[in-house]
Amino acid sequence: MLVTQEFTVKVDGNTILNDLTLEYGPGIHVIMGPNGVGKSTFAHALMGNPNYDTEGAVEFYGKDLLAMETYERARAGLFISFQTPTPIEGLSNFQFIRQAMVSLNKNNNIKENLSNFRQSATDLGLGSEWDKKQLNLEASGGEKKKNELIQLEMLDPKLAILDEPDSGLDIDAIKILVEKLRAFVDKGDKTLIIVSHYAELITKLNPDTLTILDKQGNAKQTEDIQIAYDILENGFNG
Amino acid sequence: MTDVSNLADNKYTAGFNTVTETEDFEPGLTEDTVKRLSALKNEPEWVTEFRLKAFAHLQTIKEPTWAHVSYAPIDYQALSYYSAPKFRNKDEIPQEILETFDKLGVPLHERDALLGIEKKDPNIIPTVAVDVVFDSVSIATTFQKELKKHGIIFCSISEAIQEHPELVKEYLGSVIPVKDNYFACLNSAVFTDGTFCYIPKGVKCPMELNTYFRINARNTGQFERTLIIADADSYVSYLEGCTAPAYDENTLHAAVVELVTHDRAEIKYSTVQNWYPGDENGVGGVLNFVTKRGLCKGESSKISWTQVETGSAVTWKYPSCILRGDNSVGEFYSVAVTKGKQQADTGTKMLHVGKNTKSTIISKGISFGDSSNTYRGQVRIGKTATNSRNYTQCDSLMLDNSKAITIPVVSQHNNSSIVEHEASAGKLSEEALYYLQSRGLDEENAVSLVVNGFCKDVFQKLPLEFAAEANQLLNVTLEGAVG
Repeated sequence: MLVTQEFTVKVDGNTILNDLTLEYGPGIHVIMGPNGVGKSTFAHALMGNPNYDTEGAVEFYGKDLLAMETYERARAGLFISFQTPTPIEGLSNFQFIRQAMVSLNKNNNIKENLSNFRQSATDLGLGSEWDKKQLNLEASGGEKKKNELIQLEMLDPKLAILDEPDSGLDIDAIKILVEKLRAFVDKGDKTLIIVSHYAELITKLNPDTLTILDKQGNAKQTEDIQIAYDILENGFNG
Repeated sequence: MTDVSNLADNKYTAGFNTVTETEDFEPGLTEDTVKRLSALKNEPEWVTEFRLKAFAHLQTIKEPTWAHVSYAPIDYQALSYYSAPKFRNKDEIPQEILETFDKLGVPLHERDALLGIEKKDPNIIPTVAVDVVFDSVSIATTFQKELKKHGIIFCSISEAIQEHPELVKEYLGSVIPVKDNYFACLNSAVFTDGTFCYIPKGVKCPMELNTYFRINARNTGQFERTLIIADADSYVSYLEGCTAPAYDENTLHAAVVELVTHDRAEIKYSTVQNWYPGDENGVGGVLNFVTKRGLCKGESSKISWTQVETGSAVTWKYPSCILRGDNSVGEFYSVAVTKGKQQADTGTKMLHVGKNTKSTIISKGISFGDSSNTYRGQVRIGKTATNSRNYTQCDSLMLDNSKAITIPVVSQHNNSSIVEHEASAGKLSEEALYYLQSRGLDEENAVSLVVNGFCKDVFQKLPLEFAAEANQLLNVTLEGAVG
């Protein structure tokens, strides 16, 4: 459960998101908005990216999210996927997952984790050597996206914000993405927030709420999902 | 009687000192000091001559000033040139010294060394033999008998001078001449102890040979000398570790290491350097002024230097290779980490003389705080070194106000050789740290993962036991380095 109250995000004094009061409980939620309105900013400000100044209040499972360091937010169960995940030389994908799982106090059985990791990579068509590849290095955009999805599966957060998880993926991969996202939510008590423009994905996920961000940095949250389909058809000004 | 007091700050765990009875020279360096030292060690005349020749030359030269380091002038007359623990009973190492090495995790007794090893097969002999140098003397060398079965000589250089004078005489100063540079010259005059290894023809040394250097005495210089000879078709992996107490004064350490490989022989020399770096304000710490050089004398021979440098207030060190034999190979893999007020000026020289010689240099410099970290490299491909190759890669990673300087010098004197150089310099990426933190790693762990990844190419070159130690040392070094 994530509740924002009068949540404002600024970069260098410029307001990007203005007084957002939103609520995300277990289930699937979609965030839409024209390019450049701060959809990614929303995710990163919640994660505690040091480039953003925040005001207002955010409650995350009863805790004051904004008072926490980034790693504490992760440990509290927050996960965001990155549009362009950062490459790290000399750190293998699995080594990274292992370290993250230790930090998050998750299953510490290396053998099991490796086997789950490989399964997840195989599902996504990443090949059997994926665990040994260096993190986000020499990987295509689509592969990086898939790697973020593996992390979602392995790290098993309470709430995940996925920033255009479909971009760079082909039709077959999107099918698997949908299955995996469904499986994640079906574990129960999971909250999934998707930033997407992709009609197919939104239709298939059948979200519970829709949040629309506008150019002024304001947000509207509604359970009337039909609006999403209208936007997909006619654009934001329709 | 035993008092191992802890002077260390919480980061440098080896910073305690040991109270033990010692035999010391009064401070001061004169020709008489050199003669007394030689007499005390009961050295043959040619060693005394070697020392005196060096001492005479020392009077005519000055300390080098070209390195990117600064330190208060060294008063050579204020230093003591000999300090050795007194053995109350002959052949019995004082208990407090045993405890010191126990605390440092260095196994002095063969039995202890054995305990540290998972014995899967009783026929497998232990993996590491140790020579332990405490201030000016070697106090124990393990597994000598076992090694002797293979014809391998592994002992202190003092013992080698007595027992194997013909070998020492042939090679001492043959790679690093007495007049090479100020600190090597000083060492040649006053060296007290160190390690000697000889691997006979065709022998693959069955265990890692390890020397552990411990400085304990205050205001005493440590001048050790290491000489390793690998005869034709032999192989040895040699490891070197070191620590020192946290004193307020600088401690001078001026070592000389000479390696010689004959036809098709290989020496793999690894160092984890963890001398006391001084406190956060730059007070105290070891001045590590070391000359290390290997001569690939025989054809198709190989010398490989791997170093992980995390300690010392000032490091001045360039482990080098002279590739004289045709088809010989020289390698230098280095990780140098500086933080606080540390200064490192380190690198290598690869001097190609023989045909088809090959060298590889991989240097990773990491600097934090107000430290400065210089890579200084020289690759010289001589006229006779036709069809030779060098590949150099120097990367530096910086944080805070630290400085990283890269000074590669290449000279090529024939047309058939190829020299490649790659370099990168960058700040530790905030973005990478944020990404890792978003997955639950705290800042220290995140930095450690990034830095470890950065050093991976070099760590992979270390022997297995050493790699774990280096990794751990790096992590301890990084603790508190991030502000």
